Amino acid sequence: MNRVDTEITVQVDGLRREFDSKEGKVTALDGVNLQVRKGEIFGVLGPNGAGKTTMIRILSTLLLPTSGKAGVMGFDVAKEPEKIRAVINMASGAERAGYDFISARGNLWFFSQLYGIPSEEAHKRINELSDMLGLQGYLDRKFYALSTGYKQRVTLVRAFINDPKVVFLDEPTIGLDVMTALSIREYILKQAKEYGRTILIATHNMAEVDAICNRVAIIDKGKILACDTPAALKRSLGAPSLVLEVSPVPAPGSLEPLGKLDGVKGYTSSVDEERGLSRIQVVVDGDGSAQSVIDSVRKSGMTVVSNWRQQATLEEVFVALVGRGFREREHEVA
Amino acid sequence: MKLHSNPWLRTAYARLWVRAKSIYGEPLWVAVNVGFPFFTSFSFTMVYRAYGLGAYAGFAILGGVMISFWGNVLWSMASQFNWDKQVGLFEIYISSPAPITAILVGMSLGGILGTAPSAAMVALLGWVIFAPPIHPFWPAVALIFSLTLASLYAMGMALSSLYLAYGREADSVNEALHEPVSLISGVYFPSVGAISPFPFAIQAAASLVPLTIGMDALRQSLGFPIKVPFIPLYIEALILALMALILLLASSRALRFLENKGRRTGSIAVRQR
Repeated sequence: MNRVDTEITVQVDGLRREFDSKEGKVTALDGVNLQVRKGEIFGVLGPNGAGKTTMIRILSTLLLPTSGKAGVMGFDVAKEPEKIRAVINMASGAERAGYDFISARGNLWFFSQLYGIPSEEAHKRINELSDMLGLQGYLDRKFYALSTGYKQRVTLVRAFINDPKVVFLDEPTIGLDVMTALSIREYILKQAKEYGRTILIATHNMAEVDAICNRVAIIDKGKILACDTPAALKRSLGAPSLVLEVSPVPAPGSLEPLGKLDGVKGYTSSVDEERGLSRIQVVVDGDGSAQSVIDSVRKSGMTVVSNWRQQATLEEVFVALVGRGFREREHEVA
Repeated sequence: MKLHSNPWLRTAYARLWVRAKSIYGEPLWVAVNVGFPFFTSFSFTMVYRAYGLGAYAGFAILGGVMISFWGNVLWSMASQFNWDKQVGLFEIYISSPAPITAILVGMSLGGILGTAPSAAMVALLGWVIFAPPIHPFWPAVALIFSLTLASLYAMGMALSSLYLAYGREADSVNEALHEPVSLISGVYFPSVGAISPFPFAIQAAASLVPLTIGMDALRQSLGFPIKVPFIPLYIEALILALMALILLLASSRALRFLENKGRRTGSIAVRQR
């Protein structure tokens, strides 16, 4: 993990953002407080609709807060957006922003000019960053001819083209294959470690947070539920969680009694269609609770095909905090 | 990293380069840019000749030249910004320190640079094939042509902000505007002045479009044999300069307004997923 400075680069106090919708006001952020330090890779982890992207848009000056304060490098997002724009950059994993009939290099040079970087310096930087991401051999291809993974690499070169002090990344590896995602994570890590940049990543990818983030804030329904290092958050659960593989796949609602058992902090389930099984992860506070979960599942007519205990993951931290997993939460929000 | 002392010029130049390069990067588009205006002006010229109005042929060729720029203003300026928004480029512009006016000016100059060869080709082909009788005063032609382009592209910038506000309807607005504006602006025949087929009210309304005044001023400065001036040339030059200035200021203010509104309402970015 990289060395983190004590200098605060991102400061958020009581941040609230509402949107108007047909159904009335929707609260995307509800009194968020956080501090991110120089050189830190800070994850904002939560299911879709939790408020992650809204936070990134406010910090990158694309959106104003409804109330509360947010600052980057000591500048206020509402009052001094121009000063912030000179020292930040941002990118979304879902964006495919580029001019199709221009080469990747041409696109990157264009983006560098938005920051007034002299061409010679810009090309040097394009080459350096592209080398880190394995994009060098593709720089002269037209943008439209690049695969999704390489377009995403172009986006990530763009995000660091202006030597930013703070970078906001929204789901930087979404939709990418494992190897590409790994190389992008290494690149992000290097940017923070070697150049002391602050990188704030909004994601719902727990493996990503585990792999590269110094600290993580777990967010749900616009509120930060917990904020610490990934290891400390997992340690906070105490006992290892219980995993059950059951058959047949439980009917909707049939697992709800589990949440009411003593010692059960929450559960999440997924279906393994290939094997015709359902996997249930239960956050429990000890061995006694684990046994009562197994008994309860059996009583409800399901067969426990296998069960084991495993070290807690960040999803289980989320389950313990909310009582439900990401998928269930996204379903509720939808 | 040291920032260059003039990011405005760098941004404008970069946007110009992207615009021009994109136009030439699409060979079919280049062919359409030359072919569409040429064949339309060719048709009008043939009609004029068939009715014994060969002296009017120059109007149609001039129309073919200017319609290229008008098309570019509508499709490559106004709706381009909306496309930029749809693919996420607009939020990159806004979150960077780049001045939005530099981006717009760069888009305009790139559009002019990308369209100029097509327009020149139409002029050359028209000249060679139909040899329209003209007696131009070239310094006036150059001045009026520049002022017309300046006011036209300033209008494109103003439309950009309008289209940003209206979003996806931009393409439909383009479709709806293209032909009627071409008609009342007098691209292929004088729509204002003594031989205009339109009543004065429509002529006055048409004069609000820079293309109308520009076309009339170009007809005057090119010295076509049919003299049908609407208003004196120097007044038209002043009007064009004024239009360019007003539209430029309006577009800059409108974009700033839209940016602020977008930051309040969340409409700068189109969610990508």
